[in-house]
Amino acid sequence: MNEADDADVRRGLRAFIEDNFLYLRPDVELADGDDLLALGILDSLGFVELVEEVQARYGLSVDDVEITEENFGSIDAIVAFVSRTRSKE
Amino acid sequence: MSALTLGQELRAGAAEFPGRQAVVAPDRTLSYSELDTAADRVAGALVELGVRRGDRVALVLPNCADMAEAIYGVARAGAAFTPLNPTIKEAKLARVLDHAGVTAAICDEDRRPMVAAAAKRIGEVTVIADVSNLESAKTPTLAEPLDVDIAAVIYTSGSTGDPKGVTVTHRNMTFAAGSIVEYLAMSHEDRILCVLPLSFGYGLYQLLTCVRARATLVLENGFAFPGRVVQTLEREEITGLPGVPTVFGVLTSLQGLAERELPHLRFLTNAGAALPASAISEVRRTFPSARLYSMYGQTECTRVCYLPPDQLDARPTSVGIAIPGTEVWIEDDHGDTAAPGEVGELVVRGSHVMQGYWRDEDATAARLRPGRWPWERVLATGDLFRQDAEGYLFFVGRRDDLFKSRGEKVAPQEVEEVLYGVPGVREVAVVGVPDRLLGQAVCAHVAPESGLELDAGELRRRCAEQLESHMVPRRVIFHAALPRTPNGKIDRNALSEG
Repeated sequence: MNEADDADVRRGLRAFIEDNFLYLRPDVELADGDDLLALGILDSLGFVELVEEVQARYGLSVDDVEITEENFGSIDAIVAFVSRTRSKE
Repeated sequence: MSALTLGQELRAGAAEFPGRQAVVAPDRTLSYSELDTAADRVAGALVELGVRRGDRVALVLPNCADMAEAIYGVARAGAAFTPLNPTIKEAKLARVLDHAGVTAAICDEDRRPMVAAAAKRIGEVTVIADVSNLESAKTPTLAEPLDVDIAAVIYTSGSTGDPKGVTVTHRNMTFAAGSIVEYLAMSHEDRILCVLPLSFGYGLYQLLTCVRARATLVLENGFAFPGRVVQTLEREEITGLPGVPTVFGVLTSLQGLAERELPHLRFLTNAGAALPASAISEVRRTFPSARLYSMYGQTECTRVCYLPPDQLDARPTSVGIAIPGTEVWIEDDHGDTAAPGEVGELVVRGSHVMQGYWRDEDATAARLRPGRWPWERVLATGDLFRQDAEGYLFFVGRRDDLFKSRGEKVAPQEVEEVLYGVPGVREVAVVGVPDRLLGQAVCAHVAPESGLELDAGELRRRCAEQLESHMVPRRVIFHAALPRTPNGKIDRNALSEG
């Protein structure tokens, strides 16, 4: 795992979130550290879609207790989670 | 005298178990005595602010300790609380505040600008954004309500697109809570996890039944991070988990949950929308030691029926029998009692039946009909059911166009009105289409003005600006023209199947 991979993941995630969720909120300038739930970008079903996408896109298996704010609450959090999980597998 | 009002029930709970946890919220925990004291404090402050017995007070709050304090504070002040979906938008909020004729609106800091703007549109409404800091200078004299006084006006989507205010007394609410506590066999040892919004009847009754049973309500603000919910189930030693099909759909799809022990979890309840038989098997596989109650209700009487879990194998898709202390029957088109197997409208009788729709006599008359005695009225649910030979109930369908998405009601007309407001939209029909997680997903069929191209994202965005989140279409499908019935009306059935 290296920084280039992280940047790739970050770009992919942002594109996914922009295409699927952010267009509903044109007033929001989303930063990578922003709280996706608190800003109302994603709701509970949005997170289900996002977790499915992360599993499919990066070939990861996400356990029940891993679907938390710490791991999925922001773009930064997801990038770190993907990076950690990949390095374990 | 036994407790007859919401305020008295809380008082009795605080006297019996003062130190027991009443509410464990993400922000703070309240014991029974703390919740009781907070209710007095909020009631006193509301009275000082001019709230009078019988007034309506709107609550625009997510699941938090403030919401519990506000509910019991308003009730103890003798006013009626009007809980509103915290994702409500300004224009609709103003309409509801105006219709309910509220004196005050309670919200949180995040929502204060939106609520204040809505309140300003209609004039004299006091906006309170910090319930936990409300103080009253002296102990005011509270005009404690009687059990026949109104306790709540709960807005629910109506088929015309205008929400209707289900008006219930303390007696309606304490009776319904008592009946539910009885069939779920809830006790002070229960710890219920509520991920459903307290603004929604099914969520609200988690608080009311917990207080009735002196149990503990553990609040989560929604269901966005199911991992957190799983951790809470374990850490808080949860005994009961109420859900809607979407909640169970997400939980049963999680990896690793079925292998967890969860030794404390003794029951699950489903309402809001029916669980298909396949989903019931999944829930039972994921939670093998918990009993599953399939239930059916509507805001107009809270809960209608429940299936005793020992009947789940014999009749998995039934919603069971009338809740304790009530009666139900099915009427055919002539008003006669339907024979077993015959489809008709479900009618409900009991002390849980609402008093009517707030300021809407026509809608009230359509649903509350003459009952067994000259003074009595029974509730025509508007929903079609059949009964098997042993009397167990099966939901067949609705008589109107409303449908449930994520367990919450969607009025197609309300969504259609927003879409008709978008330039370039010529025709719209909103229907529910089957969806694994949502039960039904909101699908908008749109025919643009000829020669125009519309953007699906833009249409969804307009809906998101004006509607609560569960009403925003998941899909938008464009047509040159919408299909018509031979009478010239838009053919919704063709679109639902398409």
